[in-house]
Amino acid sequence: MGLLCAQAHAEWEIGASAGAFYDDNLTRAQNSVDKRAAGAATANVIGTSFIPLTGSDAVTFTLYGRGELFERYSGLTNLVAGGTAGYRHKFGLGYAAPWVSLTLGGSFDDYREDLRTSTRLDVRAETGKRFTEQFDMSAGVYYERRYDNHGESIVPGISGHVFDLAGQGAYVRAGYAATDALYFDAKAGVRRGDVESTSQRSFQIFIISTAIANDPVWGDPNLYAYRLDGTTWSGALTASYALSDQSSFDAEYRYDVTRAGQGLEYMANRIVLTFIHRF
Amino acid sequence: MMLARWLVALFALAAPIAQAQNAEIAATVTDERGKPVADAVVIAVPSDGNLRLPRAREEVVDQVDKEFLPKVQAVLVGTPVTFPNRDDVRHQVYSFSPAKRFELPLYAGVPQAVVFDKPGVVILGCNIHDWMVGYVYVSESPYFAKTNAEGKALLTDLPPRGYVVRMWHPQLGISEDATHKTVEATRARRAEVAWTVNLKPEVKIRRAPTGGQRGGY
Repeated sequence: MGLLCAQAHAEWEIGASAGAFYDDNLTRAQNSVDKRAAGAATANVIGTSFIPLTGSDAVTFTLYGRGELFERYSGLTNLVAGGTAGYRHKFGLGYAAPWVSLTLGGSFDDYREDLRTSTRLDVRAETGKRFTEQFDMSAGVYYERRYDNHGESIVPGISGHVFDLAGQGAYVRAGYAATDALYFDAKAGVRRGDVESTSQRSFQIFIISTAIANDPVWGDPNLYAYRLDGTTWSGALTASYALSDQSSFDAEYRYDVTRAGQGLEYMANRIVLTFIHRF
Repeated sequence: MMLARWLVALFALAAPIAQAQNAEIAATVTDERGKPVADAVVIAVPSDGNLRLPRAREEVVDQVDKEFLPKVQAVLVGTPVTFPNRDDVRHQVYSFSPAKRFELPLYAGVPQAVVFDKPGVVILGCNIHDWMVGYVYVSESPYFAKTNAEGKALLTDLPPRGYVVRMWHPQLGISEDATHKTVEATRARRAEVAWTVNLKPEVKIRRAPTGGQRGGY
């Protein structure tokens, strides 16, 4: 019994991931002439402290750093440092007991081109339940705020802070383990609030914009960033293949469609490949 | 000198008795592809129902690296089992199984032993780490053993007589009752019994990380 720890403490876990993604509409533009597609390499390091208070209650703190490296549009290259604090309650014993959680998050996003550099805050409430060893579901609502004061006004009377955004949303997700190694995850969500779209000068977008700024990231002086009020519908499918209990390889497809006023609508597709390892 | 003679005589008398009680049953469990099945529990129950239960000794199921070790523990009914937590994080071990419902509130170190006083299969879980699963097989007979990596188990010190031998495994595709075999155990030779079984795929909550499980949009 001498090997036993006299006092157990918080569970610390370090995780890291590396991968790449390709997005066919980084500008979130409606017209094909304004769309810019590119890929990026990604890396992420996360430290998690999980502290069970009782068998049913736990708090979790995370600190993370991540980055995206764009070769083509290097102004989008960014480094993000952030953290979360969450509380989770499980209603009873066993894997099938439903749970609720509340998480607060914050990050500083530093982009090579300052227009997108910003501070983000979000609060998220989730609930979930595992129905079998193979199948679980969860749903959540969130509010997010992105603070930006880098955009310079180019139209008198209209703000230049196009990345000063607020929005709220809801989502549902379901996970299914087809085999010991292969896991599928599906998510669908809706977000209502401020969105950003980059396009050439247009009266249609101008009259519904709440902020406009030059967007030098694309190397095209005809492109401007606009802040709009819109609704985004999202769907994502992830296939995750476990290489061991500590690591997995994920492939994700994500689809977003945003509708704003004046019949403005834009779509984006993203494919993400990620290798995840937990130490 | 006198004492030595008495001891020799006593030994000479005792040896045949010990030998008479030394029947053995060798069990082999393989799957449909001929691969050995480890962690199968083989139980022999005297056909005449004459069971003399010895005093149960304490057994142990550890928690190591957030898993139960051993994953399958076979014990005699009435056995106290301790669940030492050898991790540096806390666990909350529980079972909903009819053979033994219990809960050990969040703990580190060694909690009080749990007495398994009813025969049957007890499925263990941890309320903190949902992927953890373990099994305590509680046998009504003192004659049982667990198969090793070669799929072999040896039941020793059996009184020579007829036995109903059965087998259980967490992934067994048929009922435990369907594995019954009748075996005559004598001291003259080791009785052998074998099963070829269909194992269901192991269904376990995934432990590996995935990026898709958390967050929203």
